[in-house]
Amino acid sequence: MRRVVPVLAILAWRNLWRNYRRTLIMLLAIGLGVWAMIFMAAVMRGMTDEMVRNGLHTLPGEVQIHQRDYRRDPSVVNSMAPPSGALLQALQQPPVVAWAARVRVPAVLASERGSRGVTLLGVDPQAEAPLGSLPQELVAGRFLSGADDRGLVLGASLARRLETGLGKRVVIMSQDPHNNVADRGARVVGIYRARLSGTEERFLYAGRSVVQDMLGMGGAVSEVAASAGDYRHVAAWYPRIAAAAGADLEVVSWTELDPFLDTMLGVQDGFSLVFMVVIFLALSFGLINTLVMAVFERIREIGLMQALGMRPRLILAQILLESLFLLVLGLAAGNLLALLSIVPLESGIDISGVALGMEMMGMGNTLYPVLALRDMLMSTGVVVTLGLLASLLPAWRAARLDPVRALNTT
Amino acid sequence: MNVTWLLAWRNLWRHRRRTWLTVGAMVFCNVLLVFLISLQLGSYQMMIDGTLSAFTGHIQIQHRGYLQDQRMRQSVPDAALLAQRLREVPVVDSAAARAEAFALASSEERSFGVLLTAVQPHYEPRVSTLPDMISQGRYLRASDAHEIVLGSLLARNLKVGPGDEVTFLGSARDGSFAAAVATVVGIVHSGMDDVDRNLAQVPLGWFQRVFAMGDRGHAIVLRVHHLDQVDAAVAALRAALPAGESLVVLDWETLQPGLRQAITSDMASAWFMYAVLIVLVAFSVLNTQLMSVLERTREFGVMLALGMRPSRLARLVAMETGLLGLLGLVLGIALGALLTAYLGHVGFTYPGMDDMAARFHLPARMYPRVSLLSLCWGPATVFVGAMLAALYPALRLLRLRPVAAMRAA
Amino acid sequence: MSSISCHNLCKTFRQGDEVITALDRVCLDIDEGEFVCLSGPSGSGKTTLLNAVGALDSPDSGAITVGGRRVDNLSRSAQADMRLHHIGFVFQAFNLIPVLSARENVEFVMQVQGVPAARRRQVADQVLAEVGMAGLERRRPAQLSGGQQQRVAVARAIASKPALVLADEPTANLDSSSAAQLMDLFVTLNAERGITFVISTHDARVMAYAGRLIKMRDGMIVADEPQQPRAMGA
Ligand SMILES: Nc1ncnc2c1ncn2[C@@H]1O[C@H](COP(=O)(O)OP(=O)(O)O)[C@@H](O)[C@H]1O
Ligand SMILES: [Mg+2]
Repeated sequence: MRRVVPVLAILAWRNLWRNYRRTLIMLLAIGLGVWAMIFMAAVMRGMTDEMVRNGLHTLPGEVQIHQRDYRRDPSVVNSMAPPSGALLQALQQPPVVAWAARVRVPAVLASERGSRGVTLLGVDPQAEAPLGSLPQELVAGRFLSGADDRGLVLGASLARRLETGLGKRVVIMSQDPHNNVADRGARVVGIYRARLSGTEERFLYAGRSVVQDMLGMGGAVSEVAASAGDYRHVAAWYPRIAAAAGADLEVVSWTELDPFLDTMLGVQDGFSLVFMVVIFLALSFGLINTLVMAVFERIREIGLMQALGMRPRLILAQILLESLFLLVLGLAAGNLLALLSIVPLESGIDISGVALGMEMMGMGNTLYPVLALRDMLMSTGVVVTLGLLASLLPAWRAARLDPVRALNTT
Repeated sequence: MNVTWLLAWRNLWRHRRRTWLTVGAMVFCNVLLVFLISLQLGSYQMMIDGTLSAFTGHIQIQHRGYLQDQRMRQSVPDAALLAQRLREVPVVDSAAARAEAFALASSEERSFGVLLTAVQPHYEPRVSTLPDMISQGRYLRASDAHEIVLGSLLARNLKVGPGDEVTFLGSARDGSFAAAVATVVGIVHSGMDDVDRNLAQVPLGWFQRVFAMGDRGHAIVLRVHHLDQVDAAVAALRAALPAGESLVVLDWETLQPGLRQAITSDMASAWFMYAVLIVLVAFSVLNTQLMSVLERTREFGVMLALGMRPSRLARLVAMETGLLGLLGLVLGIALGALLTAYLGHVGFTYPGMDDMAARFHLPARMYPRVSLLSLCWGPATVFVGAMLAALYPALRLLRLRPVAAMRAA
Repeated sequence: MSSISCHNLCKTFRQGDEVITALDRVCLDIDEGEFVCLSGPSGSGKTTLLNAVGALDSPDSGAITVGGRRVDNLSRSAQADMRLHHIGFVFQAFNLIPVLSARENVEFVMQVQGVPAARRRQVADQVLAEVGMAGLERRRPAQLSGGQQQRVAVARAIASKPALVLADEPTANLDSSSAAQLMDLFVTLNAERGITFVISTHDARVMAYAGRLIKMRDGMIVADEPQQPRAMGA
């Protein structure tokens, strides 16, 4: 058997090119199909990544630590002492690369012209920066200089709605631990722009110590956020933090904080697979057809080979090889096409025309397709496995031909 | 019977298996297209209905600029009266006046910034489905009462229930300090977190007093009988509005631009898949028809020798492709309609869909709906694709010379 | 009046670097009602000559008239019309459209000619009967013997009442008795309808039927003489 494989391969290869038009059309179809599979997967991967990135940006930190009741009742009442002891130790060790403690409470921001409900973040800029949780783009002014900066940084669209601007005074109101309304006048020192306009309207940044003073909460904070760099592997390390935090604190990963994002990541591969299988099914009819025709045209030849003593199994192998060559060539073409078309697009496709619609799904106005080896391998797996399965039928029919009758076919 | 059609039909069956495989590709694609397009159109309809009937309404009348800036003073004068007058406009089904203001809401234990929406308790249920989603207590009654209904999550955050009091602090229209106390009369539970976390509705008359609004509002919300009457209604309303006031009539696409864009972007990715499927099927047809033409070269040579014009042969191939396509079309529509009707009856779901659906106010089970458009659009395009694919093999025949063709191996 | 007249026909083919002279200054006149056999070894130019006369192919140079009409310089569509209405063809093999029955094969050509449906059916059955195929009208080519298939081809060729029928090795794929029957049919049609026949062959038994025997070699006519046709059925 081993010795005949090279002969079979040569035979299969030459047979493939006997009807070069048919082979080329089929190659074109497979190439296009494979390209579409990878392209669609790349776009979907890009969308999910973007959704998760944006989602993580609005709940900064892959792991968050709160007082037990905070998530159900995000009030200043449910704050926690800043990390110390075992927890502090765990946060200062790898794999954690950055962590920050912040105050995060609901508040109302009022200007002379109106007021809005917001989420007030009392932050320590030095600790937040490595977490990547601060606004990325300032359109005016500066960001807070430290935890005791007395200024405020707010989003561009909030500023527009409140008819306020850089240097203007505004009033923040929020509840102190005794349910008295604490208020404080402050000056706008910076205005930021975010990917999602919802973020701009919601988050208001102030110095942590300033907020703690205003609300009379001493050194307490609302949440501690930590990151290890790659959000996909959070499950590996957050239990250790949870253990260090003890029973009074609740430690959750982003997958629990935003189950939607987690679901999206989970179903993304599934969707890609379904898409690939559907595309392949549309292709498979043509593939089977090509092989059926190839066998049909060669009935006499196959009869002759059988008459010369070729085992049915070798004939089966020969047809399967022919199919494999076709599939592999098509895959190569499709992958190359995908590479050529996706790589230039990885810097981003402008979709601002439908930005508001995409925002409903948590997307910004640029789509970054991601060409992942995983998707290329998945498409190859689908095409080769299902392709060979589909080829089995015509190959099996060829192997079962009766040599005498085959030889007498005109 | 016309011999040419007969010839085309019989030629189709010279290679049964090949023909069925090609028809199979078309049927597969058609069934998929019928199903997906039905699903798509059905879910868009539900998405639009769900979003609009919850709160937005089909049309709103607002002060120019209010949609962008939502400033308190960008108001609609004589709001209740205007709503009353607009109810008389024939295409308008119902109309209700609303006003909005941000305020700090405090209960005994908690304080939150909320967006208060002032409504006409009598008319609001006719423009919005939220009043029907009361899970505890009742909806607002009189326009002047100091009552409030809260979303279930907001009520939980404020730690209040029916009977409790909530204090409001905010700024009135004239910039003065506005403060008032209202009693919680009902809790709305819609299942949509966004709504349940933010909803706070109070009667319009009470609101106008507290926030020094006079008889002004911020929007008149209107519903028409059918979504497709919106354009006509917008025109009628523009004519009916008092001249000189800076009021604008906004249709739902302007009020919820995200909705239309979400549909557009969803369509774009769906079209990509459809286009790929259709092109792949066209390749299948191209392959089949090219093979069928090439293997009949001698036969075509004889026909040319007998004095047949090449264009006639091309027409024959077109007829064969037409029959092939028709077969795929009819079977595809039939099976597609069956499958879609069945799933439209029992509904279906896929993992992750409930999360996704909630974002667009959709139920967690999908019911595709068969319509003439969803039935015919896909299969018709596949048919056209097949005919285009046959162009190459058919046109090749125009170059065929009888002598060369008959000598062909 | 002469039915076919060829003057100085030349035709060459290229096969790779080689130039093959298929017709070399052929001059030929055939009168109406003649029964001519074109003989010669394979590759001598018989098919090329028939194709030129039948307006299937144009010569490189020279002139051909058929029934008083110039056919060598016609446009492709004029050539097609000429074949459709004025010349009947019978080929060696692959003569019939395999998916159509005997009757439909005959009808099909008439349909292309624009004959009305009712008349098509009548004429088809009539010519099929004339060639001895009555009762077999509904058979498909695959259900007919080689000789029967050629008869259907003849029926199709004469259905439009052409003055000239060209047959290129019509008996090459037939056994000898079928061949004899086919030749008898040709002779009968020649005698009863006055159709001119030009038949190429390299079978001596076929040549015996002809009233005039033309011999070709290397694209040239090497002999052209009348002969006493052998008697019917002998
Ligand atoms: N289309 C063609 N291309 C190349 N050579 C041709 C072509 N047709 C005929 N020939 C050559 O011309 C010569 C005469 O052929 P043909 O007329 O078919 O001979 P015959 O019919 O007598 O056997 C042969 O050598 C043949 O190979
Ligand atoms: Mg010949």
